[in-house]
Amino acid sequence: MADLLNTSVTGLLAFQNALNVTSNNVANASTPGYSVESPNFTAEPGESTGVGYYGTGVDVSTVTRSYSELLAGQMRTSQSSYSNFNTYATTASQVDDMLSDTTTGLNAQLQTFSNSLQTLADSPTTTASGTAVISAAQSLAQSVQSYSSQLSQTEQNVEGQIGSNVQQINTLATTIANLNTQIATGGSTNNTLLDQRDEAIDTLSQYVSVNTATDSSGSMDVFIGNGQSLVSGDTAQTLTTIPSEYNPTENDVALTTAGSATPLDITSSISGGSLGGLLSVRSQVINPTINSLGQISVGIASVVNQQQAAGLTQSGTAGQPLFAVGAPQVSPSTSNTGSATVSATVSDVSSLTADNYVLANNGGTWQLTDQSTDQSVAMGGTGTAADPFTAAGVSIVVNGTANSGDTFLVQPTAAAAAGFSVQLTSGKQIASASAVQSAAATTNTGTGTIAAATVTDPTNANLMASTSIVFSSPTTYQINGTGTTYTYTPGSAITANGWTTSISGTPATGDSFTVSSNVGNTSDNTNLFAMIDGLSSNSLDGGTTSLTGAASSLISQVGSQTQQAQSNASAQQAVNTSATDAVNNLSGVNLDEEAANMVKYQQAYQACAQLITASTTMFNTLISAVSTTA
Amino acid sequence: MRVSTLGFQTEATQQMQTLDAEISQTQSDLSTGISLQNAADNPAAMSEVNNLDAQISASQQYQTNGTTLNSNLEIEEQSLSDATTTMQSARDLAVQSNDASLTSAQRQNIATQLSSLLSQLVSTANSTDTDGNYVFGGETNTSIPFSQNGSSVSYNGSNSVSQVQISPNQRVSSSDSGASVFMNIPGGNGTFTTAVGASNTGTASIDTGTVTDAADWVPDTYTITFTDPTDYTVTNTAGTTVASGTYTSPGTIAFDGISTTISGTPAAGDTFTVAPAGTASAFSTISNLITTLNNPDATSAQISSEVGTTLEQMDAAVSNFSNVSASVGARINSITAANTTATASQTAMTTQVTNLQDTDYAAATTQLSTEELALQAAQESYASIAKLSLFNYLQS
Repeated sequence: MADLLNTSVTGLLAFQNALNVTSNNVANASTPGYSVESPNFTAEPGESTGVGYYGTGVDVSTVTRSYSELLAGQMRTSQSSYSNFNTYATTASQVDDMLSDTTTGLNAQLQTFSNSLQTLADSPTTTASGTAVISAAQSLAQSVQSYSSQLSQTEQNVEGQIGSNVQQINTLATTIANLNTQIATGGSTNNTLLDQRDEAIDTLSQYVSVNTATDSSGSMDVFIGNGQSLVSGDTAQTLTTIPSEYNPTENDVALTTAGSATPLDITSSISGGSLGGLLSVRSQVINPTINSLGQISVGIASVVNQQQAAGLTQSGTAGQPLFAVGAPQVSPSTSNTGSATVSATVSDVSSLTADNYVLANNGGTWQLTDQSTDQSVAMGGTGTAADPFTAAGVSIVVNGTANSGDTFLVQPTAAAAAGFSVQLTSGKQIASASAVQSAAATTNTGTGTIAAATVTDPTNANLMASTSIVFSSPTTYQINGTGTTYTYTPGSAITANGWTTSISGTPATGDSFTVSSNVGNTSDNTNLFAMIDGLSSNSLDGGTTSLTGAASSLISQVGSQTQQAQSNASAQQAVNTSATDAVNNLSGVNLDEEAANMVKYQQAYQACAQLITASTTMFNTLISAVSTTA
Repeated sequence: MRVSTLGFQTEATQQMQTLDAEISQTQSDLSTGISLQNAADNPAAMSEVNNLDAQISASQQYQTNGTTLNSNLEIEEQSLSDATTTMQSARDLAVQSNDASLTSAQRQNIATQLSSLLSQLVSTANSTDTDGNYVFGGETNTSIPFSQNGSSVSYNGSNSVSQVQISPNQRVSSSDSGASVFMNIPGGNGTFTTAVGASNTGTASIDTGTVTDAADWVPDTYTITFTDPTDYTVTNTAGTTVASGTYTSPGTIAFDGISTTISGTPAAGDTFTVAPAGTASAFSTISNLITTLNNPDATSAQISSEVGTTLEQMDAAVSNFSNVSASVGARINSITAANTTATASQTAMTTQVTNLQDTDYAAATTQLSTEELALQAAQESYASIAKLSLFNYLQS
């Protein structure tokens, strides 16, 4: 009935509800993910009377929350991006910090080692100088090993974080699935549940990039990364970490699928968020740094050890290797079915790279692919011990039988730095002198001069045997008197018995030159200079990079990657702030607004109450008018 | 435009945190003095700093090398100077001994003085440097290079010398081998030596000779034989006669691009030899003269020829010492020059490193006050705005 009392009562109830909504908003002003709710007043239908329609009051039909899926989506996207770059930058800057020390860093240690060789060259017989070389070598080795173990530690931290990120994603997925169930079964207008679900998805976007799709029942399906389904209606998939195909200490992200014992590796579909950032920093910064450090270590060891072998120590014996370095690693895939084993050794230091390679058996033929570029790499040889495959500076030998589809990961330099150590203990073991010396006979009458002989093959059995070069005429000579007569060209190389030298000028007939053992010339420092020159020569990357150049390049590379990630994170943070602001401005509680609403509803409530009083007064008047006073 | 209360607070807090982080970074730059702390701050600059640091370190090492070498070279110079003085004293004695009126006893007296000068020369040749190594030992300089047995001195060192790096692209010899300084001195007049036949009975002597045309000289041992006091033939080792002629005193005999003068009266059958100059050691130059002077049967002619050869060889020795000394001097100059260049370049490189790496205190301090002002403004404004609420004004 359209009357004063009932209409006012509807008003009273409506405004009471509105005040409830306001108090709920105020109470939840700081709740994360809470969207401001507003009561929707709907006028009650009018009643038809003889003189027209009279309204019958008001009702709060629904309470709607202010929420925009579009703005939320934008915020999640920028959140994932920011989280991605931030995680990447944080981890990369750990590696950058480690490498950036200029006083005790790799370059400084290399220079100190070179300096110690110079001091020894000043007086090779001084014991203290020899000891100083060993000390400098040990410092260098410790520095490299320290980097290696810090990188290993950082890697372990990353693996741990990947694990905990995956757990968080799983927890959130379960929460979202549960909320989907509740919302689908009658809760599609339950603002609290809706807010909770949106909050869960927002949090999820920090870990990995997300996309959502709502279906007709109100359930929200969640897709992560490059479209991998995570939540579908009331079902949440479970992510897990599995050991990677080749390296049991590295974790890949996988999906446990119902009805299959083997989880499906989905690492390549993960992108965005902190999980994406961790996977990227591992493959773009940590692993390449380990490999590059290894490449430099192999370079140092190779230059120094080769020169040790070509020289003589103070006691006249051939030098032994000064540095040991970790060997190339080959890991079989966990899905291999054949029985082949593959091993690799370094064969050409200057062709080494900082990449890993996959050796695959395709229908009986072996093919090598660069793991980072997916480019195929040509191999020489046949893979047997007598004729190994050669590619990228390593020799690869295959034993046993492989089945088609078997693959192996070849890592030429990954273990080199961890195994970089000093093998000699005494300064007297440094091969300071050259193994051979050259001299012109004092009875020579011509103007021929012979250059210092350099050792090209220390393993030659006749290296130290005395060899004479006698000129039968000013333009021809014989080596050791018999056999071939060679034509003399001034300055061109003369090679024999594992050494090489050259003669210039004009020798006379009968002039002779000798290359002989250098044992006894304890103050000869030729081999030390060869070592020093070798350390500063371009021994890496096909003769284009020196050891210090490679170290410098590694430091700037990591520095650049960190700088770029930091600046991207910074830019994304600004975008995220702006997107978050947009969301907050729409859905956030403004206390001033609530205060104003409170006043509004209070006044309206009081007004309705007054009308009820008026109705009561009118009723009393009527009653008192019709009651008899007899 | 609507602003949420929570949003406003979150954003204000975030801004203050950003300012806090910036201030913290500036403070770190100021207290460490280094603004280039990580490669991420400026990768290219970090690379350059590493490079410069390595060059500075290497440059300092070369300077150290040079300083040690300099001391050793100065010792070598002193030794050469001593050797020259000894040789010149010996030369004076040699001139004295070329006096036909000396008695045998007087000659022996001169020989004794020459002996003592010889020992002195050996001692000088065995000097040691600052590391305790032998200056003239070549690359076997830990064992004594020269040993004297009676009047013969032999060299046991090596003929090669090692090098020292004094600058990025200079390696200089660290010493000179005893062989090149004392042993392998060109004998005679540089091309040939002359000698009086040991069994001559005449009174003729032969001078050291000269080269008239080097192209015509055929290295061989020639014998000038006097068939009688006025006729001679010159034969080579194969027995071929290459020249012959008549002789009057003094007479020049020339053949194969050389000429030599014989003075005095040769007897029939007297011979003189002309042989290719080998090398003579500074020691054998003295000891040969000692042997001749100690021989009571030596004739004045033999003594005169011997002295002639000896004087030439002594001059050659002194000239050799002087050449080596000049090269030592040149090396010492190189070290000084390299040192000067190194000091200058180190200064330049250090300045460059400072520019790349160090905090600009003036700029950083200004930046710090700006950031502090910003933070203060943010804090004060937040404090005053956060208090504002309509609820404050609603009275019940």
